[in-house]
Amino acid sequence: MAINLRSPSAETREQRLGTITSWDGPASRLANESAFSRGDCGPGCGGKGQRICELESPFSQGSTCSEQIAESQASNVRDAVLVQHSPIGCAAGHINSNAFFRNGLMRRGLAPRNVTGLSSNLIERDMIYGGAEKLRATIKAAVKRHQPKAVFVATSCATGIIGDDVESVVRDCEDELGVPVVAMYCEGFKSKHWSSGFDAIQHGVLRHVVKPKPGPRQDNLVNIIVLWGSDVFTPMLAELGLEANNILTVASVDEIARASEAAASATFCYSVGGYLGAALEEQYGVQEIKAPQPYGFDGTDAWLRALAKATGREERAEAYIAREHARVRPQIERLRERLKGVRGYVAMGAAYAHGVIGVLRELGVEVPGSLVFHHDPVYDSHDVRQDTLGHMIDAYGDVEHFSISNRQPYQFYNLLKRSDPDFIIIRHGGLAGLASRLGVPAIALGDASTAIGYQGMIDLGEEIVDALAQRKFHQDLAGHTSLPYKQWWLDQADPYLLARQNAPQAAGSRV
Amino acid sequence: MSITPLQVRRSGPTPVVADVPEEGPIEQVRYACALGAMQTVAAIPRAIPITHCGPGCADKQCGALAFNNAYQGGGWGGLGVAPSTNATQREVIFGGENRLRELVTHTLDLMEADLFVVLTGCIPDLIGDDVPAVVKEFQAKGAPVVYAGTGGFRGNNYTGHEVVTRAIIDQFASADAGPREHGLVNLWAPLPYQDPFWRGDLAELKRLLQGIGLRVNVLFGPGSAGVSEWRAIPRAQFNLVLSPWLGLATAQHLEDKFGQPYLHLPVPPIGGRQTSEFLRQVAAFAGIPDAQAGAFIAAEERDYYGYIEAFSEFYSQYRWGLPARFAAIGDAATTLSISSFAVRQLGLVPAVVVITDNTPPEHRDAIRAAFAKLDHDVGIEPVFAEDSYAVHAAIRGADFGRKPPLIFGTTWERDLAKELRGFILEVGFPASYEVVLSRGYAGYRGALTLIERIYTTAISRSA
Repeated sequence: MAINLRSPSAETREQRLGTITSWDGPASRLANESAFSRGDCGPGCGGKGQRICELESPFSQGSTCSEQIAESQASNVRDAVLVQHSPIGCAAGHINSNAFFRNGLMRRGLAPRNVTGLSSNLIERDMIYGGAEKLRATIKAAVKRHQPKAVFVATSCATGIIGDDVESVVRDCEDELGVPVVAMYCEGFKSKHWSSGFDAIQHGVLRHVVKPKPGPRQDNLVNIIVLWGSDVFTPMLAELGLEANNILTVASVDEIARASEAAASATFCYSVGGYLGAALEEQYGVQEIKAPQPYGFDGTDAWLRALAKATGREERAEAYIAREHARVRPQIERLRERLKGVRGYVAMGAAYAHGVIGVLRELGVEVPGSLVFHHDPVYDSHDVRQDTLGHMIDAYGDVEHFSISNRQPYQFYNLLKRSDPDFIIIRHGGLAGLASRLGVPAIALGDASTAIGYQGMIDLGEEIVDALAQRKFHQDLAGHTSLPYKQWWLDQADPYLLARQNAPQAAGSRV
Repeated sequence: MSITPLQVRRSGPTPVVADVPEEGPIEQVRYACALGAMQTVAAIPRAIPITHCGPGCADKQCGALAFNNAYQGGGWGGLGVAPSTNATQREVIFGGENRLRELVTHTLDLMEADLFVVLTGCIPDLIGDDVPAVVKEFQAKGAPVVYAGTGGFRGNNYTGHEVVTRAIIDQFASADAGPREHGLVNLWAPLPYQDPFWRGDLAELKRLLQGIGLRVNVLFGPGSAGVSEWRAIPRAQFNLVLSPWLGLATAQHLEDKFGQPYLHLPVPPIGGRQTSEFLRQVAAFAGIPDAQAGAFIAAEERDYYGYIEAFSEFYSQYRWGLPARFAAIGDAATTLSISSFAVRQLGLVPAVVVITDNTPPEHRDAIRAAFAKLDHDVGIEPVFAEDSYAVHAAIRGADFGRKPPLIFGTTWERDLAKELRGFILEVGFPASYEVVLSRGYAGYRGALTLIERIYTTAISRSA
């Protein structure tokens, strides 16, 4: 399905991709249930209206919203300024985004500094009379104060409900001020999963920042759609004679603008980069790499080969792959020795988790269970070669307890009990503390690049060795803590009990 | 030997920096929204906030206040524990009351706590959910649940704190008032979580008040007994408000409701002089005999000045450039208490003070007056600004003399401190580059800690 860039806003993931946020079962079953979306599951399976059955719990804890994601991305573009059109509370996210930004700059060898974000600071009166003029004033103040290369504007639940005409203000300001003013439609209530925020900013970037009339194709330039991780791609691509254009996080506006001139786009995680990659291909003919993600030997080999094929560098790629295998394999063998019998648990965004589970299995770590924060049955390319879940299962085997939940600590307790891991690997806040109270150390993957590529297997293996040593801290705590849940729940084996009881039929409700 | 009084120092006219009207844009936030008062609930032992709001609201507020702000920990059960309706399109269109009812029902079934507070975000407040009606259904069944209207557009987490506090008092704590207990005091002091040092400060304040013979409803933090203290509020002899303005409305409310008197001391005490004065004032108000308070103060001062005496050798002969002038940026309580200490104990001179808590206008003159007489010879006119662009312009416009400025501020002043080649201590929200467990700066002991932090930071430059 084509991405409609004429519309000011991206369709939500649940509309576009059939994204779900609550499910429980073996990974293989989820892959089968998702097969309709790739059109390869035979007659009578696919078709409009097909959805994966989703569990809906009557109890829920605070999740995260798309605005927070859009904010974290936009505030981290180096020479842009973020405007949040909202009451002040949405801008509390600056504190978090700022920590990401300062660390992200350091990892890329740049001096750390604070993010620049302005809130239009809507108050009660604005809810009655409208906030459009305050938005206009805020955008103008942002430009006057900082002379940014672009202004990103995030909408909020409040402005979505009161119906401010953000698009008109943004258009006027762009004309008047002569800089891209990028609306990101990311009202939290509109999508039940925060990853729609990636689509919101990428949609805006495609409409306002990416060069609409690209210059000549740069045959050695490859867009890599990344988060705040260390730049592992520049050295990797250099081996193939390619230049990595790392976008959007910690990128400059110019780097984002030239994305339409690149030869190809690739990403470390299709949950994050799928929308931009697909749209750049549809709109500008920038080839999107359709391959497993670059994790483990199998995934990294395939990813590099696809990239090499797209850019005509097959021989260099094969030589590099062979060199790296020879270099890395002995070290992986040593790590496998050390990690024998160790059980790990992965909790993170969907496609990313598929990759990291693969790395753990390369390291010989058992992965009896995993939690992904959502599941996209398909990515925007609708290409079966991007079936990361299927690749994980084919290359590394099934995961018995493969759970989907949008970050619910009360469930996480039972999930961990069920899988009984020695450590967890996690992204997003709010769950690691619970693992700690159970005596389980967490590897909070702040550097999203840790597990990528051949070296990533070694780096992650060493992280695990360090984390296992820290069990002492967590086990000591576990003996002196309690949890805010009733005993009947703590004794409950099924993490999804409430949702199953809530369902009209035992099988769950169709959404 | 006589000491010649210095001229009264003033910073001159208020720097003209605001390029936007009040209630205009805010760059780099320095407080959360009213829903941020969910952390007021989380600060009460075994209390849990239930948030009726969009899917990211609770995470943003508690993440900002409890995580990247000195990594304080999220409260009973930790970060992310707060139940939330995570309101979607469905609730926005059809109303969220049923969803809230369902959530509260299952929260009571699932979660272990002595008190739940339902806080609203923008969504229910805009679409007009009758949240009180839903919560009253549970109250009628005797469930320990109260409601507080904290839609983000209604105010910040300071005003939200007062709303929540009052909600708990009115809906939960005032039923079994019982007889007044002489010597019992309710303490209304720092804003939990917003102030990274609230736990340590409350521990020290409680220790001090107990030292002169009072019993303390400290209400928040590990030193509180939790809801039993809240239920004991009406029985206290008096309320003690230790802040220029926060908590004053609560104390006035308690005076109206229970005829309970209050003592308002605008400057939270740090250091020997302030703390001893504070204890004498409280003792006088509470009717504690001079001798009883005096004995405690004397013992504390002996300790305190013993350490100060040892420190004096460093202070008088460290030769490599210690700061002389300071900037204080933060809420009214923090800037006033730290400025008083820096001026009266260390003899430092304020170059600029910026108050960033959106102090209600009716309290600003009193705060100006307090800053005008930080000591008999030192005063300053504070700037009220919440927009970091204006805040930083005010700091850049200040005269720090020849020495590196000492900046008491937040993470937002980090880069500026580098630009000015100054020393920075993060003392307020956000403090992303402090890890705080039990540390506090209040009282005698906190002052010693603060001195350690200031001068470790200063001499680390040549380390």
